Amino acid sequence: MITTHLTSVRTVFNPFSPAAKTARIFLSFLPPDARQTMQVVTKLLPRTSKERSLVEVKFKDGKEMRLDAEKLGIKGVVEEVDRHSRILTRQAELTDN
Amino acid sequence: MPPRISPPSKAITSILRCKRSSSLRLRQYATIVAAPQVSYAQLNRTAPPTAKFPKTQPPSYKPPEFRKSQLLRQYASLLRSTPLMLVFQHNNLKSVEWTGIRRELNKALRKVDETRAKAGHVEGNVGEGVKIQIIQTGIFISALKIVEFYKPETNKSPSDPTDPASPSSATVPELTHTLSEAAHQATMKKTHALMPLLVGPLAVLTFPTVSPQHLKAALSILSPIPGQFPAPSRKANPGYHDLPVQTGLQKLLLLGARVEGQVFDIEGTKWVGSIEGGVDGLRGQLVNMLQSLGAGLTSTLEGSAKSLYFTVEGRRTMLEDEAKGGSGGAPKES
Repeated sequence: MITTHLTSVRTVFNPFSPAAKTARIFLSFLPPDARQTMQVVTKLLPRTSKERSLVEVKFKDGKEMRLDAEKLGIKGVVEEVDRHSRILTRQAELTDN
Repeated sequence: MPPRISPPSKAITSILRCKRSSSLRLRQYATIVAAPQVSYAQLNRTAPPTAKFPKTQPPSYKPPEFRKSQLLRQYASLLRSTPLMLVFQHNNLKSVEWTGIRRELNKALRKVDETRAKAGHVEGNVGEGVKIQIIQTGIFISALKIVEFYKPETNKSPSDPTDPASPSSATVPELTHTLSEAAHQATMKKTHALMPLLVGPLAVLTFPTVSPQHLKAALSILSPIPGQFPAPSRKANPGYHDLPVQTGLQKLLLLGARVEGQVFDIEGTKWVGSIEGGVDGLRGQLVNMLQSLGAGLTSTLEGSAKSLYFTVEGRRTMLEDEAKGGSGGAPKES
């Protein structure tokens, strides 16, 4: 996953729900020094909560993504994030040269 | 010509005679004694089955030389021995951060041990048995299921190999160890309440006893909450505020706990950690509750008698008043 263009990550999940797997694995995909380069906020819901798990991502160009982690799955979330990240990488390459 | 073999000495002849006489007697009765002295029970008893494996290496469902199998055994014994376990998710912690966190945790737990020793508790050093370790989730799940659902003592089959009812073809009694096929079959399709928690990179913090004081110390290091489990101040413990420790703690996420076989979420874990004075404190609370209950009970039991007394007394005074009023009021009417 390309994480260089992220400025903020916010996740909400109930760890006791099997659907929280996506959000949790997304957190584990962030690199070890992620907290220095971006803001990472995690909210854990209580066990009885029925709220859907959620991944919110903000990019350097200001784009915000609000992804329904339960529907997309980890592959879908990574795909969505990477799609925009690739565009940003491309733009950075073009402006640099 | 004298015999070539010299006759044996007197002592030897006496011994020989003794032996010969007994052996002779045996030989006399041998035909009668040998066969029928076997009892009926003995005749029916089959020979105990021969084990086809060494006692220390019973056959296992998965090859025992695999690391997986040994990890399963290790996790099962860990789960059997720890009544209090916290589950953490670790998101890409570096080794420096792990060492820092472990160091701070040990320091905090040692402090608790010291204060307890000063207060006169003699349970040994609980803090030394507290370990945080990274686990392999899949293997940990199957170990958890074996520990929770597979109780071979309760459903032990009565097919004792020396029992006459057992068929002679039953060679080996059913194996019931952690790696056995029976354990695998019994737990294969079960689900446990902790299972949804066990995904992703996980670490468990295990305690040898349920000790809320140690839990409180550990929580104040690993997931501090300002009011309830305050982190040590910079002055009290400068090592805690080192950069590696702080960055590591940001990436450590408390998910839940397993206390005495029960699954708790974060709120439950906090509640266990916030029990004042540990198990002794709980006992004190229970005693207080029972005492107040006793007082309440006596007052309740007294209550009805008292109310009866008051009613009867009230009626008596009323009657007396009536009688007085009747005696006083009657002349007025007439």
